[in-house]
Amino acid sequence: MNKDLLNILSNSNKDIDNQQLMDYLAGKLSDEERHKVEMQLADNDFINDALEGLENVKDPKDINFFVDQLNRDLHKKLLQKQKRKQKRKLLQQRWVYAAVVIILALLIATWLMIIKYQALKGRG
Amino acid sequence: MNTDRYQHISDTALLERFYADKDNQWLGILLQRYTMLLLGVCMKYLKNEDDAKDSVQQVFLKAIAELHKYKVAYFKSWIYMVAKNHCLMKLRDQQGKSPAMLNEQTMVMGEEPLSVESHLDKDRMLDAMTLAIEELNAEQKQCVTLFYLDKKSYTQIADATGYSMMQVKSYIQNGKRNLKIGVERIIKQQ
Repeated sequence: MNKDLLNILSNSNKDIDNQQLMDYLAGKLSDEERHKVEMQLADNDFINDALEGLENVKDPKDINFFVDQLNRDLHKKLLQKQKRKQKRKLLQQRWVYAAVVIILALLIATWLMIIKYQALKGRG
Repeated sequence: MNTDRYQHISDTALLERFYADKDNQWLGILLQRYTMLLLGVCMKYLKNEDDAKDSVQQVFLKAIAELHKYKVAYFKSWIYMVAKNHCLMKLRDQQGKSPAMLNEQTMVMGEEPLSVESHLDKDRMLDAMTLAIEELNAEQKQCVTLFYLDKKSYTQIADATGYSMMQVKSYIQNGKRNLKIGVERIIKQQ
């Protein structure tokens, strides 16, 4: 009995890397390597759908270019979000600083008035 | 950003880091791992490069927004579901179609392992598999045997049988599904 029969129903949880996918699409893999990738296709709907879709890209050389473009855009958006968050935080901090300055000014003014009042009282 | 230095960190660990400090950079690293797969999924459904790229960007934004709202346990399955749903919605808007929506429960990431598998000894499983494989139709049996037992690639099977690549793929996937059903039935009968 062929022990490999048991492997049919055991699902592979291995991840496939982008380079492997590209090599598969470009037909650069050996039969053995192709079979390994296809074992993952049979087990994983995500990879299977993705590969079917990538086969539809007119020029396979564009795939890496598109991916780089999308990644750049993603990081740009994340950076913008981060900057907005920092700006919001800074704005909130400004109000705190302003409140501290106003309270300090009021305290100093009160102190000066007390000193002035005591000086006047001393003279009188 | 150089994400190579984060390669050793699993998806789950990256998500945990994000949930701990809410720093979007962790999401950037995580999402970037799936850009190519997401582009492929969007291409499969939308069949247009510009639409697919646009959709990947929208999936990214949706993922970032959603991950701030709730915790996700299985990121890979989840992001696939988000992308697939997005594409189906887009198709529905474009063509007035109403494709079935997916959710985390109905969406299957790979196939469920055989429920009884872990409880059975290997010999009984092998007996059930041998019987179930005989019950497959001729095409499925041929392709499943060549693929899983003889370890042939799709191309080699297509060359050997005269079927198209699409047919080979379909016979293997349907054959595997039928095998699983067959094995479960045989084991229950035993």
